[in-house]
Amino acid sequence: MGVLLKINNVSAGYYKEDVIKDISLDINDGDFMGLLGPNGSGKTTLLRLATRVLHPKKGEIRFKEKNIFGMDLKEFCRNVAFVSQEVSGDFSFSVMEIVLMGRIPHLKRLQFETKTDLKIAEDALSLTDSLHLKEKMLDELSAGERQRIIIARALAQEPILLFLDEPTSHLDIGHQIQILDLLKKLNRQNNLTVVTVLHDLNLASTYCNRIALLDNGTIFKEGNPEDVLTYQNIEAVYKTIVLVQENPVTGKPNVVLVPRDKLCRQN
Amino acid sequence: MKKIALIITLFLGTVPLAQHNSITEAETVPLNHPRYISLAPSTTEILFALGLDEEIIGVSSYCNYPEHAKEKAKVGDFSHPNMEKIFSLKPDYIFCTGLEQAPVIFELKRFNFKVYIADPKNMKELFNSINDIGKITDRTKEAAALIKRMSGDVEIVNSKVKLIPQGKRTKVFIEIWHEPLMTAGKGSFVDELITLAGGINIAYEAQRPYSIFSAEKVVGLNPDCIIITYMDKTAPLKLVETRFGWKNIEAVKNKQVFNDINPDILLRPGPRITEGLKEIYKRLYP
Amino acid sequence: MSVHFKRLLVLSLLLFIAIIFGLIKGAVQIPLTNLLLKDSRVILNMRLLRILTAILAGCGLAVSGIALQAILINPLAEPYLLGTSSGAGLAAVIAVIIGVSRIYMPLAAFSGAVASIILVYNLAREGKRLSDKSLILSGVIVSIALSAVIVFLVSLFGNEAMHEISWWLWGNLQVYDYKLILLVSIPVISGIIAIYIFSQDLNAISMGEEEAIHLGIDTQNIKKILILITALITASLICICGIIGFVGLIVPHMMRLVVGPNHKVLIPATCLAASVFMVACDIIARTVFAPVEIPIGVITAVIGAPVFMVLLKKGKRV
Repeated sequence: MGVLLKINNVSAGYYKEDVIKDISLDINDGDFMGLLGPNGSGKTTLLRLATRVLHPKKGEIRFKEKNIFGMDLKEFCRNVAFVSQEVSGDFSFSVMEIVLMGRIPHLKRLQFETKTDLKIAEDALSLTDSLHLKEKMLDELSAGERQRIIIARALAQEPILLFLDEPTSHLDIGHQIQILDLLKKLNRQNNLTVVTVLHDLNLASTYCNRIALLDNGTIFKEGNPEDVLTYQNIEAVYKTIVLVQENPVTGKPNVVLVPRDKLCRQN
Repeated sequence: MKKIALIITLFLGTVPLAQHNSITEAETVPLNHPRYISLAPSTTEILFALGLDEEIIGVSSYCNYPEHAKEKAKVGDFSHPNMEKIFSLKPDYIFCTGLEQAPVIFELKRFNFKVYIADPKNMKELFNSINDIGKITDRTKEAAALIKRMSGDVEIVNSKVKLIPQGKRTKVFIEIWHEPLMTAGKGSFVDELITLAGGINIAYEAQRPYSIFSAEKVVGLNPDCIIITYMDKTAPLKLVETRFGWKNIEAVKNKQVFNDINPDILLRPGPRITEGLKEIYKRLYP
Repeated sequence: MSVHFKRLLVLSLLLFIAIIFGLIKGAVQIPLTNLLLKDSRVILNMRLLRILTAILAGCGLAVSGIALQAILINPLAEPYLLGTSSGAGLAAVIAVIIGVSRIYMPLAAFSGAVASIILVYNLAREGKRLSDKSLILSGVIVSIALSAVIVFLVSLFGNEAMHEISWWLWGNLQVYDYKLILLVSIPVISGIIAIYIFSQDLNAISMGEEEAIHLGIDTQNIKKILILITALITASLICICGIIGFVGLIVPHMMRLVVGPNHKVLIPATCLAASVFMVACDIIARTVFAPVEIPIGVITAVIGAPVFMVLLKKGKRV
């Protein structure tokens, strides 16, 4: 169980100001890591750096000892996949065509998809409970269905490291649990390393074995959920009062929100 | 999908219905007659004036004089003659003008057609053209006669003009288009006509034969006479007379604005140009 | 796969029919039997050259349109977006004014087109990055600026320049020099093949730049390569045919409605459809008012618009 992705002293930004300020983070093989933090803390930027979309101004990022920016693109994408929050694109591809695009890193330019590729795509769809949607057009789907499709596409890439940017934001709680359970299963059984940005602290607490709490471009605290999700840390970063209890089912920290008008009852 | 295929096939099928079926004189003329095509109205008139008729097997759609020209097979409009048509008519010689027809001439020469370009800028060049055309078509006598008649007309006007002292020469503005305002400057045939008719073209400074002219400048130069002649024959007097500031021009004040000269006789360097000359003279010195 | 195969077959059949019609129909009525006689050989050749040019132009412009629409993720993108048309036109006008022999016209047009692309590219570049919005904006600005210069020169130098320009603006498929067509077909055909090779990349890029990167596509470099290829195709075609609008914008969309957005199928289908379209328009252009020939660009617009509207109304894929 070594380090899969090493982020070393990385600083990055879009214009003059740095959004990520000297961050170092090790993602271990087999991790299920949650990236948490308030809006603007740099979570999405960090994902962009890790998936080669953005170049760091300082520092380097290594995947299995190789600098990711020196690697062959497709080789990188056979190993690392990314699930974005939204799908854009003007043209109406069918669901099956979109998920099949996940096979691109495995296909040469002029290669047509084989039966194996089709099976992998269909398996990915059934894992995300979307096989029945395969002939539909993208613009016919609900936001939740779309999100499951994007995840299916990433799974079709057969990565060993999967990054996700708020994959459950449009899903109802049933589907939220379903997707996270799926990721957890793949994490345990197929050794899929998962790094996901989550806005729901309790989901992170339940599923992640490690959490990195970002604040203003730096890592405020990193470790297991018990160490990170303390009320002091959360208050410091999110600037809001919370109560942290123990979840009776999982034993993990459970963050309870405290609305302002209830504050006087807090000690 | 099948519907579209059907529509497209129908489309292609109805095209023949839209076509003209042109069985022309040309197909009935035996091939031992010389065959001439004229791509410009001016050369058409010259050919007819030399006594040719059967030999003319194709003209442009703009060739409207003499009447018989209208019945000839059309090979296209002025700037885009149809190569297929020209080919099928198998001409021995093609007559055209320069300038706008230059791209066409390039293509015609590429196919080894014999082409004569008539682009006279003045009387002398026109007479030379008529002479050349006469030689090509074996009508040298008729050409000489035509030139003699035309020179005679020029002489008549010239003799009358000589009697008019320099100071009393009419200043004239020739308007050949209104939007933008265009005139015939130095180097154009019309300019030569004005000079021969004893007028002073106020646009003589415009170095180009046909150029855009400033309406203000016309007011400033104050011509005694304005002749309007648009190639498409639609020259309304009101348009010109009511132009801003133009009511103070001598020509407008004295009602010396004319649009009644047939543009074809003024703008075509052909046999009728001397008629045009006479008409100009009449307007300049009523 | 077989549905697409059937469609491609239908399109090929249509093309074959169109070509036959193209050879038979013309300003001059020649029955099919006489067409092969020595007498009519010249006319046959003329029509054959025309048809070849029509097919070449159709495929080239339509596939360039596809590529640009995918790269810029903009359905309004078309081959002349990056200034090629105005650049070529300006070069042609300047050539006429200077008095260059007509033989050098295609060369002048080509250089003008390429020069304007280089200008647009450099205006749009931010360091090494190429942004879609800057590209489109620069293309539009350069087109407008160069068109203005053309109008300026024409107003100064009048007639000759005017006629050269009108030939240019509306397109012309009659090319007599088969060697020139052969020369032009090299960049055009290899360009089309190259774009087809990038089908996979185009599919990915049309989902979004970031999406494509996540799938392993080197978007920045591929965009640059494809822009260069489309520029080359467009500039080469302008040299021999002038500007033919509509084909590069509409036929890709028409075919997307019929075969879908997967470029592996879209590109060959569009080539066939564009060829049929161009040959059909050409036939109409030169027979409806024979012997007067209507410029091809007028016909593509007049035919293209309603056909596209019908397809659009049908909504989904046919």
